[in-house]
Amino acid sequence: MALLQPTYEANEHLLREMIAVGEDIIDSKDLDLIRENANLNGESFSGKMSKLGSEYAKWYAKHFIMPKSVVRAIEENYVYVHDLDQYAIGTTNCIFIPFDKLLGGGFNTGNGSVRPPNSIMTAMALVAIIFQSQQNAQYGGVSASKIDHDLAPYVAKSFSKYFRKGVFYFEEEDGAEPSDIHMSNFELQLRYPKSFRYALKETEAETLQGAESLIHNLNTMSSRAGGQIPFTSINYGTCTSPEGQMVIDALLTATMQGLGSGETPIFPIQIFKCKQGVNQSPKDPNYALFLKAAECSAKRLYPNFANLDAPLNLQVYDPSDPDSEFATMGCRTRVLSDRFGRNKLSGKGNLSFNTLNLVKLGIEYGTALGKRKKADEQGFYHALDHYLDIALDGLLHRFDIQRRQKAKASDFMMREGVWEGGEQLAPDEPVGDLLKHGSLSLGFIGVAECMKALYGRHHGEDEQVFEKAFRLIAYMRAYCDRKSDELDLNITLFATPAEGLSGKFTKRDRQYYGSLPGITDREYYTNSFHIPVYYEIQAARKIRLEARFHDLCNAGAISYIELNGNARSNPAAFLSIVQYALSQQVSYFSINHPIDRCSACGYEGIIGSVCPSCGSHEEDVHIRRLRRVTGYLTGDFQTRFNSAKQAEVRDRVKHTP
Amino acid sequence: MNLCGYYPESINEGEGLRASIFISGCRHRCKGCFSPVTWNFNYGEPFTLQRQNEIIGDIARNPLLSGISLLGGDPFFSAAEVSEFLDRLYAQAGAVNTWIYTGYTYEELTADPLAAEYALLRRCHVLVDGRFEEALRDTSLRYCGSSNQRLINIPASLASGKVELWEPTVRF
Ligand code: SF4
Repeated sequence: MALLQPTYEANEHLLREMIAVGEDIIDSKDLDLIRENANLNGESFSGKMSKLGSEYAKWYAKHFIMPKSVVRAIEENYVYVHDLDQYAIGTTNCIFIPFDKLLGGGFNTGNGSVRPPNSIMTAMALVAIIFQSQQNAQYGGVSASKIDHDLAPYVAKSFSKYFRKGVFYFEEEDGAEPSDIHMSNFELQLRYPKSFRYALKETEAETLQGAESLIHNLNTMSSRAGGQIPFTSINYGTCTSPEGQMVIDALLTATMQGLGSGETPIFPIQIFKCKQGVNQSPKDPNYALFLKAAECSAKRLYPNFANLDAPLNLQVYDPSDPDSEFATMGCRTRVLSDRFGRNKLSGKGNLSFNTLNLVKLGIEYGTALGKRKKADEQGFYHALDHYLDIALDGLLHRFDIQRRQKAKASDFMMREGVWEGGEQLAPDEPVGDLLKHGSLSLGFIGVAECMKALYGRHHGEDEQVFEKAFRLIAYMRAYCDRKSDELDLNITLFATPAEGLSGKFTKRDRQYYGSLPGITDREYYTNSFHIPVYYEIQAARKIRLEARFHDLCNAGAISYIELNGNARSNPAAFLSIVQYALSQQVSYFSINHPIDRCSACGYEGIIGSVCPSCGSHEEDVHIRRLRRVTGYLTGDFQTRFNSAKQAEVRDRVKHTP
Repeated sequence: MNLCGYYPESINEGEGLRASIFISGCRHRCKGCFSPVTWNFNYGEPFTLQRQNEIIGDIARNPLLSGISLLGGDPFFSAAEVSEFLDRLYAQAGAVNTWIYTGYTYEELTADPLAAEYALLRRCHVLVDGRFEEALRDTSLRYCGSSNQRLINIPASLASGKVELWEPTVRF
């Protein structure tokens, strides 16, 4: 074990550090530590238990495992290693689950084997179980990239079952055995009208019931450590068979109906995949479902919209293979192209990511500290190279640990071939080269504050600064591409969804540099390449500016527009904004709007201090204020967000008042 | 004429994303009026030619707008000047769809075809008419405050000679 400084004082110091961590957690002293992840109740027993484990794991990794250069870069606040608690044990980040394969062949959870389902109801129940089983093999999001396509065969099975029943009960038998039983068989409909209609109705009802229970399950099963529910995402929208359409329709209906007493479901993250010719104009087969998705999003904040027509996503798109359609995992991650030829989604994922603090580099080499009149761009890029190398070293070092893990460490994932090829490994075999199909990602935060620090203005304020910002991100992408070739690995650029991080970098930079206006004077740094939430800018312009970055971020990015007002009552506005974003080649998009809920009467909409429906005052009844943070929803931003994210929500300028 | 408010983009005052322009001055004095300060014709900032051109520029440059909404106060108390503004807007930004809010009723506004109010009405596309009635207040209504208020399709109504209600173009 290599301690950085193996002296007596160092040992004393280590001990004190460890004791302090324990005390902070047990006494819930450090609220930001406890609320680092808005999805975890850090004040609960299981939350504290998992926090103790994870804080120790981080401490251990830093002192005994990681390369010194990386630890130093973390300590100097230049680099952030996400999910550091998982570093030493070699866990991987997120994955697209091949539901078609798992459902079609049956699977084993480790506690029992499961047969292929014979109805949509069972199939949907199994989807929840698969999500849950897989979640325990990794630390990031679990995603279904094409759940409509994956579930359509089970709608067909249910239909066939009901149809046969119908023929028997309605006595529509005509001697010949009905063949080719499926929902688009028009002949069947003519010959057995009653049975057909009955089967259709029953299947529809069953699909909806299945969708309801799926969404309920995904919001209630706290199976992850700390009582968290799995980070699930489901992507859909392009399956044009009547069975697939029924799945999409049912998921949207169930989402709009909401949970038990009508609350907005927080999971799964839902993503509607938009494609010209499939669901984008009135003549397209799934256009009605796109409208319904927009309605659902106006009501529930989900689904988000994935743009299959964006250039980055068209590169490997094959209309005959839904697994080649762009989709996202967790917050926004993608892994579509693979230098080893698996240019599709299912069966792989992101391995890990490290984020660069661009703001600190900006402060060091910019004009913000008043040390120079003009930004030292050469110095900036030189330092950038240095920290890119360190961040990459960290990824590679971690990758090496991940590769050495035995298949049985991520048992479900490997044994069942959730990660493609894992099923061929013996339990004691290391996962090794299989992981190379996944991506290693370099992320970034605070382009806006970085520009401000370098040039005095951010990229929303000034066109020349915008070009500088664009050049910076293009430079980082080129670095990733170059390193991919050199190292023969998938190294990708990520517009980091910074949740815990957005405040951490800032806090320490402010301690060091003081409060610099427009740079460190807020509690958070602006996410990735976004135009700051507090900056007034028209929606179209924000979309146009941010759109250009999407093509560069091949590990994922999202753009948001904030709407102030009841989005539900203005469908035209909602639709036009979504379609405008798609037309500008934004790859992944969503609209944020406030949803308040009065706990006295259940009214949902915008609530000031007084509920417009029942007149209750916020001091007397709880008004639940739902907001989106870094891609997923959190029950109530005032009680579960960390302070940086609370501040961000307060500062958001609505792009429409 | 004074401007008492301007939102370059809003989803609350009409269908689609709209630029909302609030003209100061109102003599209806509805009970429960949402902002009595706007009754004063001198409230807000002067709606100078320069400010008008700035706003027209915003509108012309914004590809996401479905149109504009004129509110107040009540723009019909400054009918002639608002008409001039609209002419300027249409000349520079093309065919902009215009919603206009008023405490008058459609019948009152169409009573005299020679009046400035009628001229303004003709330049607009959707009229949200009627005084705000506190007793009829309903927060579930789209784009208006009390249930006596109507959303009227102006060109259709002028053509047919009777009130034709506006219908949403996109429904969920
Ligand atoms: S017409 Fe409008 S501004 Fe005028 S008093 Fe009535 S509610 Fe107030």
